[in-house]
Formats: sequence, C-alpha cells, structure tokens
Amino acid sequence: MTTQYLTWLLAIPALSAVVVLLMPRGWENGIKRFSIGAMLLELIISVRLVLADYSDAGYHFVEHVTWVESFGISYKVGVDGLSLWLVILTTLISPIALYASWGSITTRIKEYAFSFLLLELGMLGAFLALDLFLFYVFWELMLVPMYLIIGVWGGKDRVYAAMKFFLYTMVGSLLMLVAILYLVASYEKLAGHYTFDLQELSTLVLPALPQYLLFSAFALAFAIKVPMFPFHTWLPDAHVQAPTGGSVILAAVLLKLGIYGFIRFAMPLFPVASQAIGPVLAGLGVFGIIYGAYAAWVQRDLKKLVAYSSVSHMGFILLGLFAMNRHGISGAILQMINHGISTGALFLLVGVIYDRRHSRMLDDFGGLAKVMPWYTLFFIIITLSSIGLPGTNGFVGEFMILAGSFFSRTPIGFGSSWFIMTLLATTGVIFAAVYMLHAVLRIFWGKVVHTENESLTDLNRREVVSLLPLIVMVFWIGLYPKFFLDKMNPSVDSFVTNFTVRYEEGRRTAEPRLVDFDELARRSEAAGALVMARPADEEVQP
Amino acid sequence: MSVLMGVSPLLLLVTAGLAIMLVDAFSDERSELAVVTAASLFVVAGVAGAMLVGELPAAPDVITRYLAVDRLGLFFDVVICVGAGLSALLAGGYLREHGFERGEFYVLIIFTAFGAMVLARAVDLLSIFLGLETMSLGAYALVAYRRTSARAVEGAVKYFLLGSFAAAILLFGSALLYGATGHTDLAGIQQVVAAGEADATLSVLALAMLIVGLAFKLGVVPFHMWVPDSYEGAATPVTTFMSVVVKAAAVAVMLRVLVGAFGDPASMGLYTGWTPIIALLAVATMVYGNLAALAQTSVKRMLAYSSVAHAGYILVGVAAVHEAGSFAVSSVLYYVAAYTVSNVLAFGSLILMGSKGKEAVSYDDLAGAGRRHPMAAFPFVIGVLSLLGMPPTAGFFGKYYVFSAAVQAGGPMIWVAVIGLLASAVGAYYYLKVIVYLFMREPEEDQAIAVPMQSIYVTVALVLAGYYVVKMGITPSRYLEWAVSAASSLVG
Repeated sequence: MTTQYLTWLLAIPALSAVVVLLMPRGWENGIKRFSIGAMLLELIISVRLVLADYSDAGYHFVEHVTWVESFGISYKVGVDGLSLWLVILTTLISPIALYASWGSITTRIKEYAFSFLLLELGMLGAFLALDLFLFYVFWELMLVPMYLIIGVWGGKDRVYAAMKFFLYTMVGSLLMLVAILYLVASYEKLAGHYTFDLQELSTLVLPALPQYLLFSAFALAFAIKVPMFPFHTWLPDAHVQAPTGGSVILAAVLLKLGIYGFIRFAMPLFPVASQAIGPVLAGLGVFGIIYGAYAAWVQRDLKKLVAYSSVSHMGFILLGLFAMNRHGISGAILQMINHGISTGALFLLVGVIYDRRHSRMLDDFGGLAKVMPWYTLFFIIITLSSIGLPGTNGFVGEFMILAGSFFSRTPIGFGSSWFIMTLLATTGVIFAAVYMLHAVLRIFWGKVVHTENESLTDLNRREVVSLLPLIVMVFWIGLYPKFFLDKMNPSVDSFVTNFTVRYEEGRRTAEPRLVDFDELARRSEAAGALVMARPADEEVQP
Repeated sequence: MSVLMGVSPLLLLVTAGLAIMLVDAFSDERSELAVVTAASLFVVAGVAGAMLVGELPAAPDVITRYLAVDRLGLFFDVVICVGAGLSALLAGGYLREHGFERGEFYVLIIFTAFGAMVLARAVDLLSIFLGLETMSLGAYALVAYRRTSARAVEGAVKYFLLGSFAAAILLFGSALLYGATGHTDLAGIQQVVAAGEADATLSVLALAMLIVGLAFKLGVVPFHMWVPDSYEGAATPVTTFMSVVVKAAAVAVMLRVLVGAFGDPASMGLYTGWTPIIALLAVATMVYGNLAALAQTSVKRMLAYSSVAHAGYILVGVAAVHEAGSFAVSSVLYYVAAYTVSNVLAFGSLILMGSKGKEAVSYDDLAGAGRRHPMAAFPFVIGVLSLLGMPPTAGFFGKYYVFSAAVQAGGPMIWVAVIGLLASAVGAYYYLKVIVYLFMREPEEDQAIAVPMQSIYVTVALVLAGYYVVKMGITPSRYLEWAVSAASSLVG
C-alpha cells in the first residue's frame, strides 16, 4: 500500500489544531514551536509530491473513500500539474506567515496558531479536493479562521473588514452551492445515481442556457475571491485591517483559490459558457489591471498600495486564463505562484516597517536606504520581481500570459480583439513599474526627513529567515522556470485538449447527456484535430 | 401487552411523568429531578431509536386509526425526547442558578413532550387536535412559568390568545374537512379527495385553515407574531424547549396532513396543490425571519427570529415533497434533527454565559466574554456556526439537504432555493455578531458583566449537543439512513 501523503497533508494541520487547543495557554513558546513544526512537516511532505511523474497529465496520489454513500459524496483527493505548485505554495507560505507573525502577535497566541492551522487545512483541502462537495466544505471552512484572524488580531476597523470579507465570500459561495446541487441533480436524472465526483460529473454535457447560469454562479463565487473588478472592494479593507500574517496568507494563497476554482471546476464543467463569458472576464481582468494600477499609484498607505497592486496582478492572471491556450494557462498558473511569492513578501516587508514605526504612510518615510540597507535590498528585489524585471519570476509569468493572450483565438466580440487586450495589459506592466518605483522612491531614497526614522533597526533574524526562502524562489523561477513548467505542462495541454473537445460537444447539444470525454479526447488527440491550435510549438522562455 | 408495543414510547413517558409527579410530592430533594427527567426522556429516546432501526411492532387497528405506528413517528419520538431531555438538563442548571426551581416544571416538560409525540403520530383529525392541545397547554404554562416576570406573563398571554385563535381555526378547518369528505382519519380523507368526491370549495377552504393553524405552531411568517415575545419572555430553557420540541411536532403533523391527506399526485404539481402556497410561505419566512433577526439587539430575540427563519428552510423541504418525494421528506427530517441539536447548543451557551443576578441576554452582555472565558464561549461559536450552516457541522448538512431537495424539485423551486440561500447569507451577519461580541469587543466601563455559571447539568447538555452537532456534520450517514427510513413510511 502506498503512503497516503495527501491524507497526511490534511490530517496534520487538523490534528495539530486540536493539540494546540489542548495545550496550556501559558505555554507560549511550546505552542509557537509546535505549530511551526507541524507546518514545516507539511512542507516536507508536500515537497515529496514533486517527485512523482507528472508527464501523463492525470491525477496522482489519488485517494478515494466513500463518505456519504447515498448522496455519492466521497473523500476524493488528488494532485496534478495544475494544483501541485499551488499546494507547495500553500505549505511554503503558511509557516513563513506564521513565523513572521510571532514577531508582532503577542496576545492570544494559542487561538492564533489554531486559526492558522485550520486555515492551512482549508486551503490545502480546497486545492486537493476532487469531489465538489468536499471542495465546498473546505472552501467554506477557510472562511471562519480568516474571519477570526482579521477580526481578532486586526487593526482599528477590523470588525467591519472581517464582516465584509465574510459576507462577500459567503454570498458568492452560496450561489455556487445551488449550482453544484443543480449539476448533481442533472447528472442523477441521466445516470441514475448521485455523485459529486468531479471526474464523473465531467462526463455530463449540458445545453447552453444551463451552462450560462451555472457558470455564472461558479464565476461569481470565484470572481469575488480573486477578486475581479468590480467585486474587489472587500480586498483593500481586509488587507489593511488584517495582521501581517493574515495579509500574507490572504494575498499569497486565498486569492489563488478563485483562479484555481475557474481552472479546476468552472471552465472544464461549463466550456460553452466559459468560451462565451470568458473574454468578458478577461476584459474585466484587463480593466482591473489598469484600475488596480491607478488605484495603487494614488495610495498614501503602503499596505493599501500593495493590496491594489494585487487587484492589478490578478487581472493578468484572469487574462492568461481565458486566453485558453497553453501559454496563457501555464503563464496564469505560474503567475499565481509568482504573485504569491512576491506579494506575500511585500506584505511581510510592509509588516516590518509597521512593527517599527506603527505607520505605513509613505509620507512618514524617506531615506530609509541609509538607515536600513538590508531591508532596502530585500524590498527592491521583491519590487523588481513584482514589476516583472527579466531575471525575476514576475517576468516569466507576465511574458507567458501576454504571449498567450496575444495568440489567443477565442472569439471575443464587442468589436474588441486580443491584440487590444494585450496592448492594454502591457501598459499595466508599465504602470506597475510606476507605482512600485514611486513607492520605493518615497520610502528609501532622499534624505531622512523624519528624525524618528534615524534610529530604526535593520532586519532582525526572524525577518531575514522568513524572507530568504521567498527571495530564493524569486530567482529560481526567474532563471530556471523549466523546472516548474515541466511539471504543469502535460496537465495544461490535456486541459486545453479536453476543453476543446468538451466545447465542441456542448455546442452541439440541446439536451443534457453523458459523454465519455476521456475517450473523445484520446481520439481527437490522435487525429491531431485540435480546434484551437497552440500558438507555437517551441517553449516560450526568456 | 404486545398490542401496546407500538406506542410504548408514549406509555413509558407518561409513566415516567406520573412517577416524577409522585416523587416531587413526597421529597424535598428537588435538585435531582432534572436528572431523572432528562434520564427518562433519553431512555424513551433510546427505546424509540431501537425500534426505529429494528423491526416495527404490529399494532391493532384501534391504535393505528388514531396514532400511526411507523418509523416517521419513531423518528420524531427520538428528536422530541432528545430535545426535551437536553432542555430539561439546561433547566436543571438554569432554574437553580436563578432560584426558581420547582418540581412541576419537569412534569410540565414531560407532559408537553408527550403531547408533542402524540401530535407527531396523529393520523386523525381528532388525535391531531388532542395532541395539539395537550402540547399547547403545557407550552403556555411553561412560558408563564416565571410568573414574577412581566415579560414572561406578556409572552404567555400573547401565545395563549393567538394560540387559541389558531387552534380554533384549525378546528374549524377540521370540521369543514369532515363535512367535505365524511372522514376524520387522514387516510380516509386522502381517498375521498383523490377520488374527487370531496366538495372542492370546502376542502380547499379546509386545507387553507389547517395550514394556517399549523403554520402558527411552526412560527411561519405571517403567523409568527407570538414567536419573538414569548421566546424572549420565557425562561431560556423553556425557549429552547419550544424552539425544538414544539417545532418538531408541528413539522411532523404538517407533513402528515399535507402529504398524507392532500398529497394526491393527480392534483399536485409545481404550480398546483399546496406546493405554491408552502413555497410562498417559505420564501416570506426565510426573508422576513433573517431580516428581522438582523435588527435585534438581544441575542435571545435574535435566536427567536432565527428560529422563524429556520422554519422557512424547513418549509422549503416540505414544498419540494411533491416533486422530490421521499428525498425531500427525509431532508426535512434531517433538518429538524440537525436544527434541534444546533439550537440547543446555541441557547444552552446563552444560558451558560450568565449567572445569578446577571443573565446574558443582549449582545452587550456577551462583550469580551470569549476573551475572559474561552472555554465557555467555545460551544457558542460551534452553535452559531451550525445555525449559519458552516461545514463541518450538522447545520451545514441539513441546509445542503433541504436545498438539494428544492433543486431536485426543479422549476421555480430552484429560485426558492436561491432566495433561501441568499437570505441565509444575511444570517451570517447576525450569527457572526455573536462571535464579534464574544471575541472582538470589550464591555463598556460602567456595564454590569455577566459571569458564566458553573453547572454540571448545563455542561453535560452542551457537550452532548456539541458532540452531535459535529458528528452529524462529519459522519452523517447513519442519521441519513434513519431519516430515509422514516421518510419512506410517508412517501413510498
């Protein structure tokens, strides 16, 4: 019997959370070390997942146990090229965020560690679930700990921000629940049994109208999470009020779940709707790129600036996703990792000066390069990665997305074209440089105008330890992305093929019916009859 | 004796009630009555549970003509007895802490629960009315139990007056139905109605009146006016009792009347029969209950309105019965069970947060309590999350189940489900407000602080309820089977 790595990945945070809850309150160091230890163990297990052979696009480490038989609900988890790096991102960022938090969180350590472990459980579960019910459970499970992290340890308006976060997400996900139920009910009418298994549900083809409705319900839930313009307004509030650790997790992992939801569920299940609505979402993504960049530019509060930059970056990812070709989607996935790393690091860095100065206003700083040289170095590296300088991770991701978008052949309508979208998105890259470098200028360059800044201490050991892994990742992905892309490309290819086949089937159908898509996909692959040809056969690499 | 096996839970409970009356008369040792009451109720629940999974005993005609001996009845026996037993435990802690414990309280609990069980098994208009009155009289007395409190008396009078009207309407409806069909037993009525021999105007009028009378007991908008006042006025364990036991019995009899007597497939559809009426009531109840709960400053009143909202979710399942069949019935049953334990957990936690001199009632009373007493606040968190329907709790699974039935029913019921789920998102605001006050607020300077009480009874009740809330959320299979087998006795 093979080792059940994925179950361990989920069991460890769950069990550790219970253990933390039982630990005596006064034993703060014990709680801190134990929770970090558990998360590091998670990291090690998740790194083991990389060693599998990802050349065949299927799910790996699959475990399937019936949970509620009469409803066809099962505990089914697995990992493939689409989710592998997101899982590792989660297990990498979680301990970093928690470890960094121990510098500034001094009250209610026990509950904080408990919330973080529960949050990690929810995030990993959502990335690993291959059963829609299980996915929904984990998706909802994430809400409560994040709500507590913002609401209990947050800033002045924390309750408002936490509530807004919760309500926004909840409204979206409840509509998704109805959509899931409808999907399962339609399946049951044809197949005669209930199932929430993604692979079984994938055999169902729905006609266009239900696809539009269901896709919209899914898309709303995911778009709120991403967050896509115009559903982004919870994000700046949540980020500004959340403690540093919460912001890091929120930006680095939680937002990715929205995009992941599109890739894993919404797009494959409803290809016709996705093909038709996708360009609109991509357009909103492009609008978000520019809007987020402008909004970031005018912010006086550094944390808010980074929050709006997230809106802008997530717009790129949406664009790549709905370009619906290999480069766009690979780029989108890679850019999710990149954004997780660089924005996570940026929030850590914002936390560093906030801890020292209790201010995040750009006006309160200036000339920090003289006072905190190491901090300046780290900040600039991450800034360059965030704006996509060649040699850093951001460049690879953005380049692939823009290439994918440029070559996209998805019909778009509205008198627009992918060329225009790409062009507009590219201006976003320039704006990113403007607002980020503007902030760098205001904080680090010039004279030290405020005397209280003269005595600021440079990065301490805790901060260096938490930032260093992220810096390493910046250059690793930036200089050798092949390592990462190779693992995901087979899955992305099969995703695109399957999508095309499904789209063709869906377009022709007037009544719901069941089709064996794997078989169709194999046939069409053999015939080489891909409707949406890939832009180029060679790797796009810097 | 074997002829009585079918109704043995009822007989056992009555015997226990009489015995407790005697014990109360001859002893001063009142404190243990809570345990005795709860234990007898749990034993009855166990007996009913064993019969539910085992073989059904045969029962003579003279019994089954009035009281059904079926799994549906046994399922409600279990739910009612567990709800009543947990309420009795809560009362054991609460009444003693606040210094008005008297023996008759427990006797009332038992006899009211008995009335509820009779109601849940009633298959004849006569036994329906008998069960309803037995239950209601006990419930009126329980609400008025704290007679020194003006609010309790106000609540009881309101409940009594409106309840009497509702009972009169129900009785009138029954009379019309008898006039229209010549039968008082639901099976007979069903036959006459299905054959189309009943006077259409009369039977429609009768159906409307029966729905009004039952909707009143269930606390469905627009017949909910008594709910907030009597729930708030009553002592909190009584509120708990009413919100779980009375409601469960009302759901049971509603299912029996609607599906049993008027469930004729030929005249039923998404747009015909009682489906649209029930669906409309469900929508109104969910929307109004959730919005009204939003505006409350008292947690107890908020929970009262939330129980109105939950009645709406239950009705969604009921409305789906015609199209989704036993799937919908079992979803209603599961929901009632899940709601019972979740509500006991929430109300029990509210009881736990206060002690003599300062009862926790409003949100302000909870301010910062979670920081001061994390262990006491923990069950409250689980309770409200379950009522909100967050995984992995019983409430989540229940909500999933009823809305799944609605989607299964298709057509306009899907939009009912959408409205219901959006209304329940409103619930997030007021349920989470409990958590906000517990953990994210501090009390005002000059405010009297509610200190959690120390009571082994309350603790046991909370542990039991909390255990089942989590268990029914994580491993629901067994309870689903029970609900499914119970539902099959109503819809084949």
